[in-house]
Amino acid sequence: MALIFSKHYRLKGLLSTAALLILTACGGEDANAPLSEDVIDNTEEVQAYYAANSGFFAFKTIEDLPDDLSWQSGEGMPEMGSPNAKKGGTEYRALQDFPRTLRTLGPDSNGGFRSEIWDDVAMRLAFRHQDEFDLVPGLAREWALGSDGRTTYLRLDPEARFSDGEPVTADDYFFMFWFYRSPYITAPWYNNYYSTMYTNITRYDDLTFSITTTSGKPDADSKVLELVPIAEHFYKEVGPDFVERYQWRVAPTTGAYLVESSSIKKGRSIALNRVKDWWAKDKKHYRYRYNTDRIQFTVIRDTEKIFEAFRRGDLDQSSLNLAEYWYEKLPNDNADVQAGYIHKSVFYNQRPRPNIGLWMNTSRHLLDNKDVRLGIHYATNWQLVIDQFFRGDYTRLKTAEDGFGEFSHPTLVARQYNVEKALEHFAKAGFTERGADGILVNGSGERLAFTVSTGYQTMKDVLTILKEEAAKAGVDFRVEMLDGTAGWKKVQEKQHEIHLAGFGAFLEMYPRFWEHFASVNAYDVAFLDDGSVNPQRKLKTQTNNLEVYASAEMDELINRYRASEDKTQMTELAHKMQELHHQSGSYVPGFYQGFFRVGHWRWVKYPEFFTHKHANGAGQLYVHWIDSDLKKATLQARKEGETFEPAIRVYDQWKN
Amino acid sequence: MFRFNPQTLKKLRRFRQIKRGYYSFLFLLVLLVVLAFGELLVNSRALLVSYQGEYFLPTYTAFHPGTDFGLNYSYEVNYRELKKLFAEQRSGNWVLMPIVPYNPYENNSNGGLFKPNPPSLENQHYLGTDTTSRDILSRLFYGTRIALVFSIVFTVWVYLIGISVGCAMGYFGGVFDLIFQRIIEIWSNIPFLYMVIIVFSVIPASLAIPSRIGILLFIMVLFSWTGMTYNMRTETYKEKSRDYIAAARIIGASDTRIIFRHILPNVLATLVTLMPFIVVSAISAITALDFLGFGLPPPTPSLGELLKQGTATLRTAPWIVASAFSALVVLLTVVTFIGEAIRESFDPKKFTVYR
Repeated sequence: MALIFSKHYRLKGLLSTAALLILTACGGEDANAPLSEDVIDNTEEVQAYYAANSGFFAFKTIEDLPDDLSWQSGEGMPEMGSPNAKKGGTEYRALQDFPRTLRTLGPDSNGGFRSEIWDDVAMRLAFRHQDEFDLVPGLAREWALGSDGRTTYLRLDPEARFSDGEPVTADDYFFMFWFYRSPYITAPWYNNYYSTMYTNITRYDDLTFSITTTSGKPDADSKVLELVPIAEHFYKEVGPDFVERYQWRVAPTTGAYLVESSSIKKGRSIALNRVKDWWAKDKKHYRYRYNTDRIQFTVIRDTEKIFEAFRRGDLDQSSLNLAEYWYEKLPNDNADVQAGYIHKSVFYNQRPRPNIGLWMNTSRHLLDNKDVRLGIHYATNWQLVIDQFFRGDYTRLKTAEDGFGEFSHPTLVARQYNVEKALEHFAKAGFTERGADGILVNGSGERLAFTVSTGYQTMKDVLTILKEEAAKAGVDFRVEMLDGTAGWKKVQEKQHEIHLAGFGAFLEMYPRFWEHFASVNAYDVAFLDDGSVNPQRKLKTQTNNLEVYASAEMDELINRYRASEDKTQMTELAHKMQELHHQSGSYVPGFYQGFFRVGHWRWVKYPEFFTHKHANGAGQLYVHWIDSDLKKATLQARKEGETFEPAIRVYDQWKN
Repeated sequence: MFRFNPQTLKKLRRFRQIKRGYYSFLFLLVLLVVLAFGELLVNSRALLVSYQGEYFLPTYTAFHPGTDFGLNYSYEVNYRELKKLFAEQRSGNWVLMPIVPYNPYENNSNGGLFKPNPPSLENQHYLGTDTTSRDILSRLFYGTRIALVFSIVFTVWVYLIGISVGCAMGYFGGVFDLIFQRIIEIWSNIPFLYMVIIVFSVIPASLAIPSRIGILLFIMVLFSWTGMTYNMRTETYKEKSRDYIAAARIIGASDTRIIFRHILPNVLATLVTLMPFIVVSAISAITALDFLGFGLPPPTPSLGELLKQGTATLRTAPWIVASAFSALVVLLTVVTFIGEAIRESFDPKKFTVYR
């Protein structure tokens, strides 16, 4: 600003215009820069918050630590990754959309890039071993479950560091609670979750602390151990302008990869660098992972173009999950595959499955009739979609809670397409005659027609196939395609009739029922005190109870399930709830993909077992590496027409 | 008896002389007639079924359940299979199918996978199938029909509104003109595409598909009539100041009579020449909207949707994009040729540099 002034000062002759220019120039400057000028330091505010909530934030000394704790450190677990992994190289990837922000929470933060800088990368106190499901140490060296079953005691690894060299301490976890509960972050989910799921954090010394959860579930320890520290020193400027102030700041990470600030070309590309002297680089379970030095992301908006870029060798890997890609766009007899330049791999995994299916809004006219719902079950030909559209690659879901091991129901299966049975059920609901177009009508001339909406553009073809098949059973599906946000909004407002969607399932021990089936998530007051249905109940919006499912019996089971601290009992309850849900017929289980498949250039190497049992995608666990010498050799060979053994590999060691 | 005036007859003669436009016009007429009776040519329903001595004409009637023809299901008969069955049974029953025995909605892969299948005479998929094994020719056929009907209705409405408002502005002038011009300026600055997207996001899908298409049409008309008013306004202004209008006024002709008997016939040339180009723009607009996914609701057959599929499967199923693209090119070229010819035949200067 001063510089602009002096410059114009010399041009005194052009008085008025110059003055105007200066003014506008200054105005421009002001609009861009003021954020960095007023310094915020929230230390006092945070300390005051701790003091005001002394029940939650407790400070004790190391002598207060119970001495009867049995410390665990996840020993004896096989190491993850492959000792053959080579470090180095650059991996080239594509992004469909440039990240709208580098924040990991708050508005616009929930994009695909978040998993690259947070979900898949940030270190947690401990991790689930991806083959064994048991916990292995991360930031915590040891942990112990207290005698109350709700408190987890933790000892941080003294070597744990943020990428800027600051050590990770108990303070970062104290700060985390303040941060997540703060209104500044404009993230209500975090505000709510961190206020209700945890009841206490106690500091014993710099590296020792404990966190208490609200209920003592069998996996109470993992609710604590999955927590990621928030760097107190970096976020000390968090205040009312958090959203703008931290929009493009690169937060220090405890993980292996950090955004390279100089590489940010907004709208075009961004890169991650492997942290130099990463504190966990020689630790068990981490030393053979996160192998590439640099990951370069380029924005390519069109899916087809991304694939073409991969075919050209500009990108190292490409997902081939869709049948179209695996069988047609990169078939086994493709020249590059046959020459061994591009490898194709299929890996069968085991983990909780996203419950993609049809969610019926039981508060809607006709759908409140169980026979109509069951008729829709029998009128929905998922098997045809799986066999002929997905080419038999996918598998029919059995319930809404598949893939949770013993918690998933052992015998329940989804109802199969059956026109006769569908017609029987529809007839029971009063739909006996077919109209001129073959769609059933009831006595009062009402057509049996429902709007089937979805926010997944890729499901358009699936819905049109289901529509054609449903018409045979006399029910009309009106397909409504929405964009992702609009679709989500629609079901959250409970405006849907039937919606095709699935909830992503985390790697958890047991499924969640309260979110989807508790009556408090369906209506404000679902039942009256005497247990009868409240005639004046109002729909509750913004919940995940997409079926508006309300049953006193289910509520009771859910409460017992939530309160239960015994795994066998919980399993039994889970099965009972799944049976109940199955009987109500308000959810038609769809399909799941029991594998993932990728095409990767020859220089992208994977361990001999490819990846671990619970992995969600090929790149998720960062067990692969880039062999730069091999890349050079392969490109040279390709130029000279030299070929290699083709590699189409199927890893079915975890196929069930 | 209605008679054209000699001027118009001359123009029509001239139009016939411009062969390219004239044949395009005939082609379009034939196409419209064919499309109007499309159900007889492209349909999964049989033209004629002879069953146990009785004749059935299922094309335009209510559906026939399988039980009508001795089959064991209550949903619509699959006439293709019925035909095979009757042929095997040799019991004197027979089925006559249309040339293209598929409707645009059914997934028919002849027992195989739902994926794009190349054109095949044997399967009677003459242009192949799309990504869910629907017949492309059938989708193209009905897609074109919808696009054409849509654009014609669109043009009629744009003309009605554009002419009335434009004419009124030009004829009455003064404050009325001034105010309306401002309104139109503001109105025409509202971005049309965004409006379509916004309005379409709030229309409930529970409406029947024809009414949703109607709403789309309404929105498009709502934001497209303004262009027409400019031409009409200037033309009317021009004509209004001519001597013959002044003469008519002196004789005591009413405003209505002057507008309808004197001004409108004289600005006809402008109106007619513009018409084909509005049709073209309507077809392009609806195709573009479909391509972007904001147009006709699925599974309505449409050119834009086929183009979209085609661009996604350029390498693996080039026949999709080839058919959709050719159809669009032919349609737009034909309409443009007609437009060119009309413009030329209505041009008072026979020998013009703009030829």
